[in-house]
Amino acid sequence: MNLLAIKKKNKKPKGKLGKLERKQELAGYSFVSIWIIGMLVFTLIPMCQSFYYMWFKIKARNGLQFTYVGTSNITQIWIEDPDFIQQIASYVWQTLLQVPIIVVFALIIAIMLNGKINFRGIFRLIFFLPVIIVSGPVMNMLVSEGAASIPALNTQAVVSAFDMFLPTAIAQQLGTLFGNMIMTLWYSGVQILIFLSALQKIDPGLYEAAKMDGGSDWECFWKITLPTIKPMILINAVYTVIFLSSNEQNQLINLIKTAMFSATAERGYGYASAMAWIYSILVTIIVLIFFALLGSKKDVYDRMVKKRKRLEIKEERIARRVERRSVRNARKIERQRQKGMFRTYDGSGDY
Amino acid sequence: MAAYRGHRTNPDKFEKSQIKIYLLILPMVLLCGLPIVFIIFHAFKPMEELFAFPPKFITTHPTLDNFRKLAKASRSAGIPISKYVFNSLFITAVVVFCSLLFSTMAAYALSKLRFKGRNVMMQINQIALMFVSVAVMIPRYLIVNKLGMIDTYLAEILPLIALPVGLFLVKQFVDQVPDSLIEAAYMDGAKEWQIYLKVIIPLIKPAIATAAILVFQQVWTNLETSNYYINDDSLKSLAFYMNTLTSTSTTNTVAGQGVAAAASLIMFLPNLILFCILQKNVMNTMAHSGIK
Repeated sequence: MNLLAIKKKNKKPKGKLGKLERKQELAGYSFVSIWIIGMLVFTLIPMCQSFYYMWFKIKARNGLQFTYVGTSNITQIWIEDPDFIQQIASYVWQTLLQVPIIVVFALIIAIMLNGKINFRGIFRLIFFLPVIIVSGPVMNMLVSEGAASIPALNTQAVVSAFDMFLPTAIAQQLGTLFGNMIMTLWYSGVQILIFLSALQKIDPGLYEAAKMDGGSDWECFWKITLPTIKPMILINAVYTVIFLSSNEQNQLINLIKTAMFSATAERGYGYASAMAWIYSILVTIIVLIFFALLGSKKDVYDRMVKKRKRLEIKEERIARRVERRSVRNARKIERQRQKGMFRTYDGSGDY
Repeated sequence: MAAYRGHRTNPDKFEKSQIKIYLLILPMVLLCGLPIVFIIFHAFKPMEELFAFPPKFITTHPTLDNFRKLAKASRSAGIPISKYVFNSLFITAVVVFCSLLFSTMAAYALSKLRFKGRNVMMQINQIALMFVSVAVMIPRYLIVNKLGMIDTYLAEILPLIALPVGLFLVKQFVDQVPDSLIEAAYMDGAKEWQIYLKVIIPLIKPAIATAAILVFQQVWTNLETSNYYINDDSLKSLAFYMNTLTSTSTTNTVAGQGVAAAASLIMFLPNLILFCILQKNVMNTMAHSGIK
């Protein structure tokens, strides 16, 4: 009962905020507002509109003409557009394979660049440099001229080697991956940077303590480095997925674009919207997969707090039940005593 | 202290233990440097080397032929090239500044201030991040049209400001700023905007530099806004102009290749210059974040 009273006193009134909190809320809104307006006007509303257009055939003859067609845009994609489906399938495979490789690769380079070596600054600079060109028209030129693959590396041998113990679909993708090793390197600039910033934040005292206890470098990596930068691994994975799915080398983007501007009756903007939505949902699913694999959303402390809270609620419930029961029992006893059913001990000795 | 060590990145002496790291890193460094070498030399290649297969990285007979062709092509156009340069510089400067200002403000609020709907906003940003930007082109055009911004600078500036990627990156860095610094500022009587200006901004400078480079190159090479929202030739951007020069005005694509190589070098140079200016900040990631 005592516990309950304290709890009641500490409980915040719901819905109403204190003066300080309200002030903070106001500041928060004012900081975010400009961004939100920009997002709303130029991204969110267009997104909703394209969702709406998905169900229509649109003709651009003296203004836009809408004809409601229901889900036929979507079924048309699945039935009549083998190109799109093929691209989607290969995109999913490639992303699922490429993202872990890019992230691990970036992690290894970041750890090496975080070590003590000469000319570290210059190395970091060079690794970040490709970032400033990978999304430009320059990249298109490079890829189209075959500068992104290693001619000396015989990918056929690699593929056949993988083919021995892996399904062909995966082996094929791994083969192209080896062919595009340089691309992987060029794509990992930002990821290396994010990892570096995380690595530099680790307290060197932790390593010292581990060394004192006789831990090897290998153990330190698994027990200190990896757990500390785990959130960054997730962020990098998400960033990589987004980068891979929206850069100009992606064939799907071009497919959507051509569908959008094709003047034929069965394609057009409604069709392209449906394509874009299918694609976006796929990207979201891939990101969710990485979230599920890598994201431990709460850290240990958070989990402990949660557990404590659950316990407290349970205790509170028990306390309330005990209180209720004791009140009821007291009343019952009182009633029964009034009826004279009990003789209480009055100190006289003959009970 | 770690903060102190951050300034002295290089050890004083060469140690034997470094050799294995060098062996691993050096080939990768070479590979990373390749595209830049390629771009620079590509612009100076004579015609027969441009089409060599496999492509050569280093030219043996450098010429200025491609640039001469480019100059010739631009002279035949009605509008002087300086106008396009001005347009591009103006648009890029405004977009980079506004975009960084707004995204750092939003990142600070979303990461450190508590208010209703914060998580929803973050989710929305993440969803927008995953959406294909190509697909919103037509609705965006309709909105720009409705707001009456066709054929103004605004049409080239506003749609590019709210880039979700910038917010995503900057927010990760603001998350790492320790809360105790902000609390300390509160105790000393700082207002929210003072905390933003005096605590957050200096601490996330590297993130801002990184985002600046990303935003800059996205805007600088952007063709779409000039292509769709602008009809008036004197308001279009340099990227668009370079694109038309290389694709349409030169009738045969073979000759266009040389012009394209020269144009891409010209488009690439501002990127490199900006990068060289900001690189110290970028590389110095989070060496001194106050509290350990």
